[in-house]
Amino acid sequence: MRMQQWDTEDVETVAGVVRLLRRAAELSWYKADRGGSRSPHQLFAIGVDAAADEAANLLPRRVRLEGPTPVGHNPAQLLASAEQLLRRICTSDPPSPLRALHSRVSELIWEANSGADA
Amino acid sequence: MPTRDRRTVGELLADSDSLARETLLDRSADHSAAMVRTWGQVVDAAARLWAVLPPAAPVRRSEPDLMPRLRQMANGIAASTSAGHWPGPGATDQQLLQIAHNLSRARILVERYGGDVQPTTADVRGDIAAARARIMHTLYVAAHGTALAITEHAKDLQDQLQMDTRRRRPMAQRPSSHEIKAAQALSIRFGVFEQLVGAYVAAHPVTPAVLAEIRPVPQASRLQSVLASWDIQAHRTIVANPDAADLVRVSRIQALIASATAVVSEAAASQGIVDRQVVQRTIPLLDETQVAWSQVARRWAELTSPESRVDPLLVRAASEVRATVVATASNPTGWATPDEIAGRVDLTRAMSALHLNMASSLDVAYLTRDIAATSPTLTAPARQIAMRAQGEAEIAAGQGNTEFEGMTWATERQIAANQLIPLPTPARLGLIKATDHVIASCNRAVAAAAPLEPSESAEIRQPVRAPAIRRSHQVPKMPPQEPAPRGPQR
Repeated sequence: MRMQQWDTEDVETVAGVVRLLRRAAELSWYKADRGGSRSPHQLFAIGVDAAADEAANLLPRRVRLEGPTPVGHNPAQLLASAEQLLRRICTSDPPSPLRALHSRVSELIWEANSGADA
Repeated sequence: MPTRDRRTVGELLADSDSLARETLLDRSADHSAAMVRTWGQVVDAAARLWAVLPPAAPVRRSEPDLMPRLRQMANGIAASTSAGHWPGPGATDQQLLQIAHNLSRARILVERYGGDVQPTTADVRGDIAAARARIMHTLYVAAHGTALAITEHAKDLQDQLQMDTRRRRPMAQRPSSHEIKAAQALSIRFGVFEQLVGAYVAAHPVTPAVLAEIRPVPQASRLQSVLASWDIQAHRTIVANPDAADLVRVSRIQALIASATAVVSEAAASQGIVDRQVVQRTIPLLDETQVAWSQVARRWAELTSPESRVDPLLVRAASEVRATVVATASNPTGWATPDEIAGRVDLTRAMSALHLNMASSLDVAYLTRDIAATSPTLTAPARQIAMRAQGEAEIAAGQGNTEFEGMTWATERQIAANQLIPLPTPARLGLIKATDHVIASCNRAVAAAAPLEPSESAEIRQPVRAPAIRRSHQVPKMPPQEPAPRGPQR
């Protein structure tokens, strides 16, 4: 499947992923900034930022990304929700940027649950 | 009819180098504006020539290419020059123009006749290395000459302003503080340029004995390559009408680099590679720089909207920096221990790459400030920015500035719909102030770290395993004809 072949539902799903990742990034930065100078949490937050940017760049510019702020205050849970949505559209032969995003989000979940951000 | 230029590539490069040295002889403040205006042409001509020269060493062994980084920095200076308060449009500098002309002529010769040159023998490789060394040395000396001329000019303006203030001359006839600040900023940015190119010049000095000598080129470390690519991409994105989201990412990565520099510096000090006292003085300043960049990132984040997108190439470069910092200086529980870091990377070269990036981040900070100060298209969602503008207006009122009293920043309708509105003046001033703080802290950190300033040259000059980083208060032994560490000599 190519990204050009996405239907409205797929596009909405990726837009939902963007919102989840952006909210996760916002919460991660809140924690990193509270950690003061040299906070190791900034590494995780930059990772979530990059994932959110990659997800947003999967969509054409005309797609509106505005929407309700996802509920939740735990970046790991928001990442897990994003991963579930991505899994739904990463079925047979997904485009490589989408596959890369899926694996990046999976790695971030692992980091969130096992590393300094656990 | 002008006579045909029959000079060889070597003669053209030697003439360029000589002209660059003349900028030091005749460093009049009056020439500074013209020199700044012409700088972009010189670097552009040098970069084009650089691109057509065959490699002096096999690609896999070569260090990261510095020229694209210098070119982006020159583009940034050109963008600030046309947008800022000084120097603005006007005459160009004939000496620098002649250098640009020489380099362009050399490129035409290489393109026309250099196709058959294969860098297979030591002699040919030596020739190419010598040509590259000449080009970099020309840029180094000319950047230094320009920086000195600008510094003189800024000083003249300050003296003039003081005199005019004493004599109570009309404001319109005095030099403006904006002009002085713009000149001072450009002087620092040329200093950064000089510092970057200085690392290359120190490793490839232009001396008769060395020009034909083939030196072992250290293999590029991942950190060096990634930071060089980041620097280039950050400059490219910033000079190409960036979104606020781009500036958030740039600021966050610069903050991360400041943190990584502190962590790696501590590791280097614990291994006895650098002076512990200098590191102890530098680390609080690096921390301050990290906090200042983070603060700027939060300010730019207020200007983003849900529709903001980050330049995909910037995202890729940022991801690379993050992955490399993780591999170099972190473990699953936080920052890696000094022993872990020492086991993973060559600390000398890691320090070199990080400190060079700290210096070039000053230029990134200046570019960011230019956008904050001059970009007419900055907008922000009404709710957040109206609050920010009000907060800044109240701070200004607390300091006696009542200019913004009674003003509102967004209509009720704009706030209800959270529309994008042009950035209110107090919010813009707050953004500029935050960036000024980055510039000041970064400047202090770079100055404090100067005694640590590692140079690949030391490593190359001393193949034995001697400490490659200069320790505090040690004067490096330089051959008489080599450039001094803080600036070229005639």
